[in-house]
Amino acid sequence: MNDFSIPGTQSTPAIQGDWAQGILSMQGDSYPENSYELFHQVFEWVERFLKQAGRPLTLELKLLYLNTSSIKAMMDIFDLLEEAHHQHKPVAVNWRYDPRNERVAELAEEFKEDCSFPFAILSHD
Amino acid sequence: MEPLDLFSMRESYNRQQIMLCFNGPISRSLIEEIGNALRNYLAADHAHPSAAMDVFGVYIELTQNIRHYAQQQGWTEQDASATVVVARNEAGHYVVSAGNIIRPQDGEAMLARVEALASLDKAELKARYKEQLRKPREADASSGAGLGLIDIARKSSAPLQANLRQLADGRAFLSLRAEI
Repeated sequence: MNDFSIPGTQSTPAIQGDWAQGILSMQGDSYPENSYELFHQVFEWVERFLKQAGRPLTLELKLLYLNTSSIKAMMDIFDLLEEAHHQHKPVAVNWRYDPRNERVAELAEEFKEDCSFPFAILSHD
Repeated sequence: MEPLDLFSMRESYNRQQIMLCFNGPISRSLIEEIGNALRNYLAADHAHPSAAMDVFGVYIELTQNIRHYAQQQGWTEQDASATVVVARNEAGHYVVSAGNIIRPQDGEAMLARVEALASLDKAELKARYKEQLRKPREADASSGAGLGLIDIARKSSAPLQANLRQLADGRAFLSLRAEI
């Protein structure tokens, strides 16, 4: 089973992996005490997809507040994408945010600074 | 037992514009529940969404740092006590304060780190933050509160304040105060 779906909770985002479409989506806040528990399965899915699927991968993000351990975990995932990009594998991130909260755009912007693959930060109403 | 004077407590909380305070063992779910209440208060207070997210973020990092520290020390859930206060100051800024029991040498190390961060401007804090983000997880865990403390400093509008009080049992009480 290559698709997965983790329901969101108050402190963790909803996450869906769609192998056929090559889309990983995350929505919501992320501030679990132990981010590693949540994110290592996402990390492994991305790693496996990039190795095996031979198709483009897009991350569709509507993440809001991230605590520092979630930020570290997301950075590890973006590093995987960066590495794939250097191997000429097509990867992209679309991060959508509510324009009333510029902190989310600033957070996305800081991730984007360290990425050379297509990384769009899009405001939605 | 000394009788509780709730009215004078209320007067004092009101005078100091305390929105929320907590003292006692702090569990993971309690951090979330108090966080929820904090978000509701901030919304009712018409805080700007960015400011509300900063206050919430500082609250989360401070309280999770306290939990992580207690876990590292192998202390029980009961020993993972925190004193947390969210208030507004005269200038209308939100102030998040959190205190916990700590080993004196760890407390001294925290004072030194808070002092080191105080001299950095926003650009330097960002550089320090990115540097810390790239450090291996283990290095962060052993030093404790590495990334979180820098994150709090970045969200604050004034340098963090820390103080340490020696306790009779040989331990110490650390207070951290962040003004958003």
